[in-house]
Amino acid sequence: MTIKALPLRQKFFTPNVFLLLFFMGAGAVFAFFRFFYGFGSVTNLSKAYPFGLWIAFDVACGVALAAGGFTTAAIVEIFGRHKYHPLVRPAILTAFIGYFLVGLAVFFDLGKYYNIWHALIYWNGTSVLFEVAWCVMLYLTVLGIENLPNVVEQFKDNVHLPGRLARLNRPANWLLHRLDWFCGKTMAFFVIAGVVLSFGHQSSLGTMMLIAPYKLHELWYTPLSPLLFLTSAVSVGIPMVIFEGTLAAKFFGRRPETELLSGIAKYVPLFLGTYLLLRLGDLAYRGVLASAFDGSLQGNAFLLEFALFAVPYFLLKRRSIRRDPTLLFLCALSVILAVVLNRFNVFLIGMNMGPGWSYFPSVGEWGVTFAFLAFGVLLYKIGVNYLPILEAEHE
Amino acid sequence: MDLSRRKFLKLGAVAGGSAVCNLARPAAAREMPDIDPDWYGMLNDSTRCIGCKACMVACKKENKLPPESTLGDAATFGAPLYDSPRELSEQTYTLIQLHRDEKTGAATFVKRQCMHCADAACQSACIVGALKKQKNGAVKYDAGMCMGCRYCMVACPFNVPQFEWHAALPSIRKCTLCSETRLEKGEATACASACPAGAITFGKRSELLKIARARIAAEPERYLDQVYGENEVGGTCVLYLTRKDVAFAGLGLQPFGYKPVSDLTESIQHRIFQYFIPPIAVYGVLGGIMFYNQNRKRKAGTEGGDDDY
Ligand code: SF4
Ligand code: SF4
Repeated sequence: MTIKALPLRQKFFTPNVFLLLFFMGAGAVFAFFRFFYGFGSVTNLSKAYPFGLWIAFDVACGVALAAGGFTTAAIVEIFGRHKYHPLVRPAILTAFIGYFLVGLAVFFDLGKYYNIWHALIYWNGTSVLFEVAWCVMLYLTVLGIENLPNVVEQFKDNVHLPGRLARLNRPANWLLHRLDWFCGKTMAFFVIAGVVLSFGHQSSLGTMMLIAPYKLHELWYTPLSPLLFLTSAVSVGIPMVIFEGTLAAKFFGRRPETELLSGIAKYVPLFLGTYLLLRLGDLAYRGVLASAFDGSLQGNAFLLEFALFAVPYFLLKRRSIRRDPTLLFLCALSVILAVVLNRFNVFLIGMNMGPGWSYFPSVGEWGVTFAFLAFGVLLYKIGVNYLPILEAEHE
Repeated sequence: MDLSRRKFLKLGAVAGGSAVCNLARPAAAREMPDIDPDWYGMLNDSTRCIGCKACMVACKKENKLPPESTLGDAATFGAPLYDSPRELSEQTYTLIQLHRDEKTGAATFVKRQCMHCADAACQSACIVGALKKQKNGAVKYDAGMCMGCRYCMVACPFNVPQFEWHAALPSIRKCTLCSETRLEKGEATACASACPAGAITFGKRSELLKIARARIAAEPERYLDQVYGENEVGGTCVLYLTRKDVAFAGLGLQPFGYKPVSDLTESIQHRIFQYFIPPIAVYGVLGGIMFYNQNRKRKAGTEGGDDDY
């Protein structure tokens, strides 16, 4: 490991940042109404669609798209592919930001958000949601710890608090040294814990809508759903890393890490293949394939979802495509869209709550969702700008 | 070398996959809910209902719920003119709906409310246990515990729990079976007491089933030989009778299976977390792989081991 990760230290207030702040401001306005005038004033939610865009995208997709963290950690730290080490820190940081936003989004979506801590004390073991909540809390903690070394590395022996706070320099430094020692000793434990928690969590999200056998469309109502959620999350892990890596290179004016990204991309067909095999096998076994072709909204949504999964599977098998940065990026994007559409299908499009009810997210719901996305990008920018996340460019 | 390793990895993936498959397969062993003969409930005889909506009025009075008007709200008319809800809502715990049979054109009035299920989906789903089956049979909601996640609304096959969409600090609302206000004082539910046509019978579930069977036996040409709620979704405390020529589905009572809807989720949950063995096993396997790889690296004394899989 000769190349060190370093903070970017670029100028912070670029026009892009103001754009992000604009989105966040707009979201805050909608949030004001949601918190003081009720869900009815901003959302299109109804008795038939109690879960809307905020759960389907901010939570269900958010969790799946944070999968870059645990898959990269597993490939590098557990399966020993150390060549890809430079990808771990950005992936873990993104996962932390992702989960942090999921937590925040849940807070937005809970009617009685001030009771959120009840999940800690009132346990209902039969509830899938209970398990989901615990995994979010635990994994967020683990991700926090996994990100500690970045902070420690940046500030150890380097604490210079201004003015009267300078008195705290020594204790802060002492604390950082303790943390350093703690991280060094225990990181292996947390890395594996992160993977196990992710497994539990991703699969539990797949269990969630199985509580509604008479509402969820048969294309998605399957006992295999937990496993399908897990394998699709694993499949989207590396594409997320490719997606972010490519965009980060573009926006921070760095050389793209094509070498590394196309290298790690070779695992994607393996995961995607497993997923597609399970998905097709399940549909065939349950004999519901026909309903994919009945021309209904659900059938078409399924076909699109499947195509978005299958096309990159075949493309990424080819070395020449993996080596082409643009095609690689597009393939990654396809897998990401596939997983997003899949979560939408399970949480919204595939849910039929009876005739006469429909749902399309309101402007306010989109606004809040965009605000979350903008906040995530901003946090990432702050992270890479002031902490050693991205490795110095190698010539 | 390359090939054999690749094979090994694939085999591993298959083995792991099938292990998880096995986990995901529902355990057939989940027991059917025990039904307590002392649970209270109601028998709604749709053949007797005259659609007077006295039960709705009684319910609104009992629970101090405001009227809902389809003619316009307070903003348009100064005050709601008329209580005419179309659906169950946070202000309407029970509702009389008119259903017309497609073939005969015969009209039937059907009462809607929480079914107070034996193995309630809402109870199974609620993250904090804010919805609970009581000893008297009522499924009770505790607003102080609830987090407002609305998962109970997704879970309930009858779409009963309602959310206060226009409140800053919203709660879930649904029929209480008058558990606290009347049952505990030994009184029947408000709706049953108000019904002038004898369409709502209040009593113990076991007694109600007997009454229903007796009515069917006495007038077999009048009643369909089935009591809705006896077995549907594991049994409910609110039971229904229908005319011989009108299927329950024609009354908006869906032909649900006899298994509780939480059957699959609960058995999956149970399998995945059984005594925490599966997560600990995964942890152990991953730890072993990590240890092996790090050892190999140490022995090689390099950053090596990065060859293709
Ligand atoms: S009808 Fe719905 S709300 Fe009522 S007990 Fe059954 S599952 Fe719960
Ligand atoms: S909304 Fe309240 S009662 Fe319903 S599942 Fe969530 S916490 Fe439980």
